[in-house]
Amino acid sequence: MIIMLETYNQHKEDEQMRKILSSTKINASENLKYRIMRQIETENALVPKKGKPIKESGNVLKEMGSLFGTMYAVLAAMIAGVYFLFGKEFLLSPQFIGTVILIASVFSLLWLISRLDSYLKEKKRIH
Amino acid sequence: MNENQRVQQVLSGNSSAFAYFVEAYQDMAITIAHGICGNMQDAEDVVQESFVKAYRNLRSFRSDSKFSTWLYRIVYNTAITHSKTQMWIGSRETVVEEASQVADNALEINMDEMERKEIVSEVMQRMPKGDALLLTLYYLEDNPVKEIAKITGLNEPNVKVKLFRARKLFKEMVVSNYGIQITGS
Repeated sequence: MIIMLETYNQHKEDEQMRKILSSTKINASENLKYRIMRQIETENALVPKKGKPIKESGNVLKEMGSLFGTMYAVLAAMIAGVYFLFGKEFLLSPQFIGTVILIASVFSLLWLISRLDSYLKEKKRIH
Repeated sequence: MNENQRVQQVLSGNSSAFAYFVEAYQDMAITIAHGICGNMQDAEDVVQESFVKAYRNLRSFRSDSKFSTWLYRIVYNTAITHSKTQMWIGSRETVVEEASQVADNALEINMDEMERKEIVSEVMQRMPKGDALLLTLYYLEDNPVKEIAKITGLNEPNVKVKLFRARKLFKEMVVSNYGIQITGS
C-alpha cells in the first residue's frame, strides 16, 4: 500500500515537473533546417559519384574461355586435318607434338599479356 | 513510413528524405545544445554540425536503437567538444548550499504562464549543466533512464541518482530564489 502510494506520488510529481519544464524547450530558428539541408546537398554534390564496379571475375572467365576455346578449336582442326592427310602415325611424331606445344605456348603468352594489361588498367583506374 | 524505412531511403541515395529527421528533432537538439553551450549561436552551429555528422555516419546507425537517442548522443558529444565543457564537474555544491537554506520556507503559489516560464528558464540556466540536461532529457523528451544513459555515457544507476538530485535541486532553487513552489496553473 505504501509502495503504491509512493509510486502514485512520484508519478504525480513527474507529471507536474513535465508540465513545468515543457516551457524550456527551445524552438529552432526558421532557417536552421535549410542551413543543414543545404550543407548536406553541397557535400553530396562534391563527392564524386562511384561508377558501377566492373565484374572482374566474370570478365576473366569470359576472356579465358574465348582465348583457350579458340586454341582448342585450332588444335582440334589441325589434328583432324593431319589425321586425314598424313595418318595416325604423324600425330605421334615429334614434329607434330612440337607444333602443338608451340601453338599452346603462343596462346598462353597471349593470355598472359591480356591479364597483365587488365591488371595495369585496373591499377591506373584506382590511382 | 517508420524511421527505419526513412533511414533506408536516405541510404539508398535520397538525401532529401533526411529533412524529415531534421524537422522532427531539431528543436530538442537545439535545446540540448543550448543547455551545454549556453548561447544560441553556438547551439545552432553544434546542431548543424551534428546533423551533418549523423547524415555522414548514417550507415553506422543500428536500427535496434532509437534514432533520437543516437542523434542526441552525437549532439551531446559535439556540444561538449565545441564548448570544451566538463559536464559532470561543476559548482553544484555551492548551488545546493544556497538553495537548501531557504527551501523549508516554501509557499505554494499558482502563477501565470509567462512568469512561470521565466522563472523555470532562469533556474535551469543557473543549475549545473549536467543536472539541467538530465531534467531536459527526462521530462521534455520522456526518455527512459536507459536511453539517457546511452546519450550521456553514464551508467543507469548513476543517471537515476543524478536525476533524483537534479529534481531536488531544481525545486530547492525555485524556492530559494523566488520563495515559492511552482505548481501548474
